[in-house]
Formats: sequence, C-alpha cells, structure tokens
Amino acid sequence: MLSSLQNPRQAAAQLMNFGLILSTAFMMWKGLSVISDSPSPIVVVLSGSMEPAFQRGDLLLLWNRNFFSETNVGEIVVYNVKGKDIPIVHRVVRKFGAGPQAKLLTKGDNNAADDTELYARGQDYLNRKDIVGSVVGYMPFVGYVTIMLSEHPWLKTVMLGLMGLVVVLQRE
Amino acid sequence: MASSQEKISVYNLADLKNTTDDAIPNYLNSLHFTQSHRLTDVRLALGYSALALAAACFAWDHHLGFAATTHLTACAVALYTVLNGALTAWMLFAERGAVYEGSAPGPGAGGQGERVRIATATPRRNVPVYEMVVEVVGRDGARTTARVSRGFAEWFDGAGRFVAAPFQEVLASAVPVIGRADPKRAVVKVEGEDAAAAYTPEMLDMLARASAAGSAAETATPSGNGGAKRGGRRRKA
Amino acid sequence: MYSSIVRLQNTFGFFTTVAFAVACIIAASDLFSARTPSVGVLKTTNVQVVRGRPHYYSSKKEEYAIIRFSLDADLSSLFTWNTKQVFVYVTAEWPSAGGSGSGQNATNQAVIWDSIITSPSADHLANLGPVAMRKLRRSAAGKSIDPSRGRLSINNQRPKYQITHPSSKVANQEDVVLRLHYNVQPWVGILTWNPDEDFLKWKTLKGNLSRKFALPGLKKKDEGKTGTRS
Repeated sequence: MLSSLQNPRQAAAQLMNFGLILSTAFMMWKGLSVISDSPSPIVVVLSGSMEPAFQRGDLLLLWNRNFFSETNVGEIVVYNVKGKDIPIVHRVVRKFGAGPQAKLLTKGDNNAADDTELYARGQDYLNRKDIVGSVVGYMPFVGYVTIMLSEHPWLKTVMLGLMGLVVVLQRE
Repeated sequence: MASSQEKISVYNLADLKNTTDDAIPNYLNSLHFTQSHRLTDVRLALGYSALALAAACFAWDHHLGFAATTHLTACAVALYTVLNGALTAWMLFAERGAVYEGSAPGPGAGGQGERVRIATATPRRNVPVYEMVVEVVGRDGARTTARVSRGFAEWFDGAGRFVAAPFQEVLASAVPVIGRADPKRAVVKVEGEDAAAAYTPEMLDMLARASAAGSAAETATPSGNGGAKRGGRRRKA
Repeated sequence: MYSSIVRLQNTFGFFTTVAFAVACIIAASDLFSARTPSVGVLKTTNVQVVRGRPHYYSSKKEEYAIIRFSLDADLSSLFTWNTKQVFVYVTAEWPSAGGSGSGQNATNQAVIWDSIITSPSADHLANLGPVAMRKLRRSAAGKSIDPSRGRLSINNQRPKYQITHPSSKVANQEDVVLRLHYNVQPWVGILTWNPDEDFLKWKTLKGNLSRKFALPGLKKKDEGKTGTRS
C-alpha cells in the first residue's frame, strides 16, 4: 500500500488519521483534566505505602473539586511536595481548620509513621493547594504497562514506531 | 495505484476494497471525467484544524502548566469535540462512503456533463463482496441511482493482483454514463449476467501477466501516480 | 499488513473490551448489595492529656490527648465479592476556638485509631508477619467472603495515635466527640465512605458518634513519658 502515498491527498489523509488517534487520546486526557480539575486525573501507584489497598501498577482516578464537602480526614489524596517531582498517594489522617488554609496531615496505611518526614524542610502540614486530587476510582494492574514503559524507555520508542507503521501501512 | 504488479493479501477485505477504490478515480479520470475533490478537501480541513488545535493545546500546556491555562484548555477541548464531531458527521452524512465525485465529459470543449458520485462499501464483514452505489445527476437535474454488488474475485487474480479490464467492464456496463465514455468496455445488458463468469481464473492470471509485461490489456488505466493522471486528462483536452 | 497481525490486533482489542465491560459490571454490582452497618457502642473509657515532644530530638513540648475507647459495631454487610478491604477509623473532632459546633462542621479532626480489615481474597496482601498471616488465612479458609470479619467488639482500646493541635494546646478542650468511619476499597470500581445520607441500598452509619466529652487538664506526673505522636 506504500504506493498510495504517491497521491498527496491520500497521503495527507493517512497522516491525518494517525495524528487524530494521538490527538484524540491527548484531548480526552485533557478533557478529563478539565472535568476533574486535576492536572493528572489518572495516576499509577508506584510504591507499596498504601498496601493492601493499592499495589504497584494500580490505576487511580482522581477528583479535585469540592462540590459537596471539603477534602476531609479519611480521604486518600495525591499530593505534591515542593522540590520533589514524584507525587505521593496517602490518606489524610488529621485536619485542623477549614477552607484553603486548613492544615492537613497524611499517612500511608502501610507506614508506621505519618508523612512529616516526607514534607519539605520546615513544612509540618499540607494545604489544600498541595493536593492534586482525591482518589475516587480504582482499577487494578492496568497501570503496570506505564511502569514498564518508564523503566524501559526503549519500549516507548518501539511501541510508538510500531503504531505509526501500522497506521501508515494499513488504511482503516 | 492499481498497478497490476502490486500484490495484496486476498484475505484482507480492507486491502481489497482500498485497491479497488483507488482504481475508480484512475479509470474515470482516464475517460476525461473531471474529478471534484470537495469532499476530501473539507475532511482534510476539518481534520487538520483539529490536529492544529491539539498541538497548540499541547504546547501551552507544556510551557505554561495546567493551572495557568485551565480555561483555555477547557475551550480547546470543547472546540476539539465540535471539530471532531463535524468531521464524523461529514464522513457519515456528506461522504457516505464516496470514493469518487466528478462530472462526465460534456458535449463541448471543457463542457460539464452529468455529475457522477460513486460510494463503495463492503457491506458484510468477512464476505468479499464489493458494493458500489453510483448516483448520476443529469444535466436536467434528474437523478438515477445504480447499485452494483460483485465479488472481488471477478477482478483480483489468485495472487492478489488487481486486473483492470474486468473491473472496468463492470463499471462501464452498469452505468450508462461511463459506458458511453468507454464503449469498448460496455457489455450489452443481456449478456451482463454471464459477463461475470466470462473471466475464468486462468484468464485473470493471463491478463495480469500480460499487463505486467506492459501489453495493451490495460490501456484504459494509466500506470499510476497523480501526475500521470493529470497529464492524461490534459493530453486530450 | 498480513492477516495474522490483524487477527492479533482484533483478538487483543476484543479482550480489552470484554475485560473492561466485566470490570464495569463488577463495579456496578456494588450498588445492588445492601449496606446496613450499625454501631452498638462507641464511648470513651479513659481520657488523659500529657505533655511530650513530637520526636526524640525535638525541644518543643506539646500536649497530647490519649483517648481510650470501646467500640461495638457490625460492618459485616460491607463485605461482598468486590470488597478488597475495609478501612475502619475513629476520629476525634472538636471545634476551633470561636468556631462552629462539633460534629459535621468540626474544624479539627484527627484519627486516633484505625484498622485494615482485609477480605479473605486480599489476605495475601496484608502486611503481617508469617505467624499472624497464617492465623489470618486459617480464619477464613475455604471462604471467599467472610462477613464475620466486619463484627468489631473492642473494649477499652488504647489509641494508635496520640493527638495534638498545631497550637500545641489540647488540654481542657470541650465539646470533643468520637466518630466512627469506614472506607470500602473495592477490587475494581469506586471507593466509598460512610454516606451522609441514605443512597439507594446504602444506609447511613447510625450511632457512629460518641457523647460529647471534655479533655481533662494536664496530667502532671506523666510528663515526658510519651515520645512519639504516631
């Protein structure tokens, strides 16, 4: 089917089809971001600190809006710490005050101590703005693919290349 | 496109359909039909504007972060949905599987004849049957529709080579406008039923070999690319 | 592309579609199982406030409340085939100075005790030593669902966490209540907590509030005895 690339309109259409697959996936992700008001509405669990609830590779769906109630004690939240790139998934165990200034303390179910040690230097509590979202949905195992991809970066290149080849070589 | 040397897998319905689809504009353009690219151009415009929007969204998200651009991103997502919806609607309601739109050569030089629109489909999965719906709008505005449903085996040989002559015969026999432009290929209607069986597999192989050797068996089909197609049209205009 | 690749693609595509559909059905099945947990007893048995340091090397002295309590609750209806674990926790709640009342609008909330109750299907994931693990697995041998694990009856329980406040002051605090909560973790689907209102077949957790009590004044002789807050 390579010869079909000689027709510019057909070549453009095939390239477009490939692009639309990628862009639609991206825009669906962004749409989910906008709806849940979270920069990353789906996260993959990377550590075992919330075991046995979450294992490595499980997929979590986040929600970052407070329609009915504030983020409360008992919720499992994903938060960022200044100066650390990897977000952490832990449970809120203490909350002092209300509103955006409320002081939140988190702890992993599987950890003996609370998260004070994980926070930035001089930081004793989290604020609402540090939180990326609360966990509302759970899907086991599925995220393991992304762990494999991030641990073996060449897999990413191979997969993207294969995808492109299939789409370019095969219409429909 | 449908150069007979190229082989496809005869078990792949999509390949069979695409190869045959490609042969239609080649054939009709060689008969001095004027192809209209309106459908494809609108589709490309919709698709590429959606792509550009997604690329822009990616760029500002990457450079400025999510929090700073939430509203912009929300608008982009909405607009993208609209564009993509329009694209889907265009393909469903405007294209309706059309692979060719154009007009037959008119009476005078450069004159416009009947408008022809050919939509194709493989209506049943796993059954190698090709269905063509040919709509012809006459100069007086009268619309006629012809439906042709044939097995791919009539114009593909066992090795997966496309053989132009029998396929062109099917088209020319079923649609009077095409038959008039290519009387050589048009088979009289009474014989039409038998014409399907007129080409035995052996004959198809023979034809394929002959055209591969550059014989005149495929005179009606220029050998391939868009340049030749356009050149061919100008030659006789 | 040859058809073997196309077939592989189609097979994989079909597999993911079916897997996703099955996951959705399992997740939705939660809605059709009634949840009628109940609380028999939730009361404090012994409350004291001591002074201590947040950690060994800290020079800061804070007040810590140690709240012992008794709990009698039946959460067995939370265990279904899609339950992976139930996280049960008791919070102490009190209003801020000049703030609104206790209960739902409490502005200070701290977990004093929690417990992970795994479903037998998730026992192998629990973080336990080999002896405790063997005991746990034997307790539900041959069962995939074990509702009896939801029956809690604990007396004069020491709190797992001694709590304080950012101001370091908790002594003589009035209007404190204990509240029992649960969080059901499914094998697949939506995480749920005890609902504030009845929702379809899920009933609210009634009687999960203790009576209001006041934290006592500082207990002098225990000073420095507590070294950790977690």
